[in-house]
Amino acid sequence: MIDLSFLNSFAESAFFWSALIFSFACAFTGLAAIRLSLKGEAVTSLMAVSTFTTVAGVSLFLISLPELFNVGFARDTAIALLVVGSIGTIIFARLFRMGK
Amino acid sequence: MLVEISVVVYMLVVFGFVAWNIKKGSFLIDPSILVPVLIFIGALAVALLAFMGIDFGIATTTIMKIGAAGILFSGTIPMVAAGIGLLRFGDEYGINIFYARNHIGGIVDCVASLVMIFVGLLIVRLDLVAVGFFFFMLLPFTSNALANSYYYSYQRRIKQ
Repeated sequence: MIDLSFLNSFAESAFFWSALIFSFACAFTGLAAIRLSLKGEAVTSLMAVSTFTTVAGVSLFLISLPELFNVGFARDTAIALLVVGSIGTIIFARLFRMGK
Repeated sequence: MLVEISVVVYMLVVFGFVAWNIKKGSFLIDPSILVPVLIFIGALAVALLAFMGIDFGIATTTIMKIGAAGILFSGTIPMVAAGIGLLRFGDEYGINIFYARNHIGGIVDCVASLVMIFVGLLIVRLDLVAVGFFFFMLLPFTSNALANSYYYSYQRRIKQ
């Protein structure tokens, strides 16, 4: 029986830091999307807000994992953002297409 | 200290590989070869650890978590590149810049959904996989609806 502590702590540490760095990258993209949504026209704003909901949802899903911060309620928020955000984008794009 | 240095080295290796792929514009190693080789290396590592007397479940969990960390690291570079693209492509490029922005938005959606699917598979969180798969299925419809609405709203503005 050999000692698995190094490999185990490496896996825990690598997963934590990778999720944290990915969340920071998502935050950067989300800020860029907010900037685009504020300066663009209607459909561009819709696209930027859709991108923002995506990155916010993924970040929230990552922080809800028990291996990271274990924020339980963030999971439900993330599911709502990802599912309703996509469907809402399609519906509003349809409305914009019809000119309403 | 050794663990942190190993994590930094692992991160730099993955970042370097992904950045090299992006700079080249195509795959350095074809995914149909790379993915089976990585799966084989992971299975070999699990078998080696199990052969050395470590519990099979613990060895599998550890190796899969290292793989999940690699996937999260590899998703970081395209995400940052997409953010830079969203910041840089301004209105001075003309009206058709929307389609480039829509493409960047599609890349963000694609990276996010693939990361969710594969990380969820590797850390055995099926809710993550389910939401990621649902989002991956819905993604082309979203991009197509946005491009379609932009095209028709622009045509209507020209007529007016």
